Amino acid sequence: MRATLRRVGTTLTVLALAVALNFVIPRLMPGSPIRALGRGGDPGQLTEAQRNELLDRYGLNDSLWVQFRDYVTGLFRGDLGIALSDGRPVSTHIGETIGWTLLLVGTALVVTTVLGVVLGTLFTTSRRKGADDVGLSTSLALDALPPFWFGMLLILLFGVTLGWLPTFGAQSVFGGGGFLDIAEHLVLPVATLVITGLGQTYLVTRSSLIGVLGSTHLAHARVRGIPERRLRYRHGLRAAALPIHTLVMLEVGWLISGAVVVETVFAYPGLGRLTFDAVQARDYPLLQGAFLLLTVTVIVANLIADLTYPLIDPRTRGSAA
Amino acid sequence: MTTIDPRVAGADGGDGADRRVDEVVPARRRRFRLGVPGTIGAVLLGVFVFVALFAPWLAPYAADERPGLPFARPSDEFPLGTDDVGKDLWSLLLLGTRTSMVVGVGTALLAIAFGALVGAVAGLVRGWADTIAMRSVDVVLALPFLPLLIVASTFAGRSVTAQILLIAALTWARPARLVRSAVLEARTRGHVEVAEGMGATRTRLLWRHLSVGTAPILIPLFLRAAMAAILLEASLAFLGLGDPSRASWGTILYWANVRSAFLTDAWRWWVVPPGAAIALLVVSMGLVGVAIEARLNPARREQP
Repeated sequence: MRATLRRVGTTLTVLALAVALNFVIPRLMPGSPIRALGRGGDPGQLTEAQRNELLDRYGLNDSLWVQFRDYVTGLFRGDLGIALSDGRPVSTHIGETIGWTLLLVGTALVVTTVLGVVLGTLFTTSRRKGADDVGLSTSLALDALPPFWFGMLLILLFGVTLGWLPTFGAQSVFGGGGFLDIAEHLVLPVATLVITGLGQTYLVTRSSLIGVLGSTHLAHARVRGIPERRLRYRHGLRAAALPIHTLVMLEVGWLISGAVVVETVFAYPGLGRLTFDAVQARDYPLLQGAFLLLTVTVIVANLIADLTYPLIDPRTRGSAA
Repeated sequence: MTTIDPRVAGADGGDGADRRVDEVVPARRRRFRLGVPGTIGAVLLGVFVFVALFAPWLAPYAADERPGLPFARPSDEFPLGTDDVGKDLWSLLLLGTRTSMVVGVGTALLAIAFGALVGAVAGLVRGWADTIAMRSVDVVLALPFLPLLIVASTFAGRSVTAQILLIAALTWARPARLVRSAVLEARTRGHVEVAEGMGATRTRLLWRHLSVGTAPILIPLFLRAAMAAILLEASLAFLGLGDPSRASWGTILYWANVRSAFLTDAWRWWVVPPGAAIALLVVSMGLVGVAIEARLNPARREQP
């Protein structure tokens, strides 16, 4: 019970912090939003009256307190304001993009976790000399690859040189949208995220397994004559799964960060790309909305991980969830 | 460029602080225990430190000079060609080493100093201070770093100082948690319990007894913080948010991406070198960190 309260408390604090940061940071940014509004022409050509009318329309003439109140009440109604750059509601922009990010990050999360755990177990428990060293060095190297750079190299190899896979957007411009088409566009961005993120899962699986493999219950099982294979996966991996479970939620935060640059490289129409476009245009409401939704995605993933923890660890049942 | 100096400096871990240990444990044996991967990492890291220190003298041109024609192919004068405004890419690559190193080391120093302080106090005082500290750690770790940095750096400016402060404000949390658990673990050791029982003050406990068990883990934590900072700086710069007054590996790649250089021949000299430099620098730190960790604790039971 206490643990649950603690988690809910943390979640609410993060949420409140995100909302507060969201409101404060864009208002501290240099440059006037009017400048961004006047993209078509020179903002200096606006008369004072026109300028005021624009500020009024977007509520930027109100006092900060009124702006904050409007912002928070708007949030509860799902109203995130209106994008400065094209006048459409921010929620529409987010509705159009969030699905792609969830698809991208979700796929990458599943593939990374499965691959990392399998490889981690294989290499760590291998009897072959040097297998552990090779696995460790390789995972360090993968960890060090900047995702955006690796994405560029993949585009170069599979898109430009070999011409096997599309490298731009989430679906074909003409006649796109079918399952295969979307899957095809997903391959390279997901591969970028998986390959550059694999190292972390591998390392956690490894260190968790090393801890478990030396434990007494495993030694006992071995004495009972349980086959090595069964020992490794049934007894070892099961006990080692706890830190891996914790890792999955850390991984979401990492993948969201990775998605921002990867979406930029692949022109993938997700939330990350939206964030970047919003920064370029100094589009306050759009930036707020995109950042808030990215944060909420991470928070929800963490909460799911927390609430499913007792499912894999019987010891925490009753105390948590 | 001679690599003799960094090789020597890198292989035995840098400064003369280890001198006294040398007299107890023969140097040969210590070097062997860093392992092959660790030694490779140390040599590589030494090269990067050397380039970072002497970059302004090694680079033929300054970061804001435009000595050539745009999009020049590699030649004797420009070993890696020029970018879209005629800057020498070889010079930018060398100067970028310094930016990455400054951000990495600066951030890691700040993050480790603050993180170690918070972790040590939390582990020592326990009670409400511990609760507050650890809840703050939870909150920071639950934030998506890069989106937050993007939002924050657009207002805080793009200077290297601002980047260091912002990245450190996010990366202190993990070291804090690990230092806290190291302090808690060290507290259960016999001699510390005895000292505590004899009425040693908390300050004395920390400096005299706990620091011995805890301080060594700060080195791998420092390296990890630096690695994270270098990758974050590169990502920011790649999104066009790098310090405009400095050369940065991420910024080189930003322009390569904007000008679609990776669709032409230019990828070989414009795209590959800066990315490879980022990866190699981070890998070298990782190899050294893992080797040191292995020496500190063979069982390597770390918290995820």
